[in-house]
Amino acid sequence: MIPTRLVALGFLLLCASRAGGAQRASELRLEVGTASFSQRGFDAERAALLAVLWRRPAERWTFLTSGNLTYAADSLAAAQGVAVVDLPWNVSERLRTELGVAGASFSLRSVGRGGNGNLFARQHFVGPTRGSFIGLAGGRTSRDGVGSDSWSVDAGLWKRFGVLYLSGALTHFSSSDWPLLYASGVFTATNDDRFELLDKMLTVQVRNGPHDFTLNFIARDGLGATAARNRTLTASGTLQLTERFALLASGGRKLADPMRGLPQADFVTASARVSFGPKPLPVMQRSVIAEAGVMAFAGGGGELVVRVLASESILVEIAGDFSDWAPLPMEREGTFWVARARLRPGKHRVAVRVNLGEWRAPRNLARVRDDYGGEAGLVVVP
Amino acid sequence: MNRHRVLFVALVLASVSVAPALRAQGSRVLGIADARARAAVEREIAQAEARGLPVRPLLAKAHEGVTKRATGERIRVAVASQARRLEQARDLLAPSPSEAELVAGADALAVGVPAPMLKKVRAAYPAGHSVAMPLDVLTELVARGVPANHALEQITQLMTRGATPTQIASLGASVQADVAAGLTPDAALEVRARGVMSLLPSPAAAAALAPRGSRP
Repeated sequence: MIPTRLVALGFLLLCASRAGGAQRASELRLEVGTASFSQRGFDAERAALLAVLWRRPAERWTFLTSGNLTYAADSLAAAQGVAVVDLPWNVSERLRTELGVAGASFSLRSVGRGGNGNLFARQHFVGPTRGSFIGLAGGRTSRDGVGSDSWSVDAGLWKRFGVLYLSGALTHFSSSDWPLLYASGVFTATNDDRFELLDKMLTVQVRNGPHDFTLNFIARDGLGATAARNRTLTASGTLQLTERFALLASGGRKLADPMRGLPQADFVTASARVSFGPKPLPVMQRSVIAEAGVMAFAGGGGELVVRVLASESILVEIAGDFSDWAPLPMEREGTFWVARARLRPGKHRVAVRVNLGEWRAPRNLARVRDDYGGEAGLVVVP
Repeated sequence: MNRHRVLFVALVLASVSVAPALRAQGSRVLGIADARARAAVEREIAQAEARGLPVRPLLAKAHEGVTKRATGERIRVAVASQARRLEQARDLLAPSPSEAELVAGADALAVGVPAPMLKKVRAAYPAGHSVAMPLDVLTELVARGVPANHALEQITQLMTRGATPTQIASLGASVQADVAAGLTPDAALEVRARGVMSLLPSPAAAAALAPRGSRP
């Protein structure tokens, strides 16, 4: 069974890489890593992880597909694939609909062999600093020849505070996959063949450029005659080391997932990720906050205003094609360093530096490579 | 005198003439410490000038390298790359692109806009109308992460509907404001392009208003 899965995954990788090469905007990510999984009632097993993600933005939608394989000798083997289409609405740019299909094949010591398929739809409202969603999912699992079905409804809110994201969500599961939940320690007090579960989830995420760190807390309670009470905390993080290479780590307890047919497990993972596709811009620490704006003049052209939030005791300079790339010192105005320049209509490149450090693009401008291994910001003046 | 000899003489004359020209402009290319690298940069610029390319954007590229403390060799490579892009843009924007159009085309190629798209932008405006601003906005949108084919479609639609360069530039500024407010660049472009489009005459009216024979 495993070789067949590996062949299937290899085929998926091949398709994804070919598609990635054909379309400039496509992105392909490969992740390889190791993990320790402990299913309830069994010793921890070391496992190998292999994952591929292919994302293709198109004109009116974004298509994302991913597959992953987890393998730990005879105790744990799972292959999953997900395909999602993200559709923006015509009537409002703040409405987006996500439609997806996922499938899994597994061979687990705790809950047997089988497969799973599920469909999901989620409606998002996306604001500048906050958003919400409501979703519906349904899935079918076959485990050692016995079929079951699961449904879920979820709703959530998120809000951004600078680099900090907070979100909360409620998910109501209804499942007849009793072997899965039994293996996870969830029982019913009656002879009902369905389990009802309510998950309350709180997520805290810090994002700084390509780096992120996430804490996820879930409180799961059984409803009605279902006896379940789980509290779990998982942590995960991404450290982008170079333009294409990142390290990922995660750990904690994953609760049984009736939608995907996967059981509860304690896990620790470490993996490396390589990205292909459009070359990302260099990773640079944002030690200063620089922003640029243009006040357009009625007859064409405008005034570029760049503000840098930085200490009074340092040297802040600006350069661009408007100064023929000669560095110009910025002036102190209140708590900001400020530079002003009159620009002709057209595209201009601009960068700032602090204490003779790296030249960086103001963060709200489009960033472009500069042929010298760094970056510049683009501003177009009407 | 055959063609190669003419080109050789032109190169020699240009390389002789460019150094005094740089000195006259107070060029900071002369500030490259390594004399051999400085001479190599001057030679690249001279060769480009001999091929009929504008010198100003090449000097700007070299000055950027001096400011960013790049090595002389790296500056030479950057200048040569810029010259190649300018030459490619000249072919794509034929028959007679202005310097601003060449620079806009070269910068578009530098951010990854596929070469055939430059031809499409050129074809979307009547001959004689500068496509520098539409190319600049296309470059900015692609640099923001908007898929190039989507950005091209929106911009060429605006151009064929008779949008002015100022209206197209405003589209870029509006997208920037929306992105700062949290929208994805793709969604912002979609919404803003529709807004500009609503101010323009219908395609049929635009065709009727266009002077006969002005469309390529």
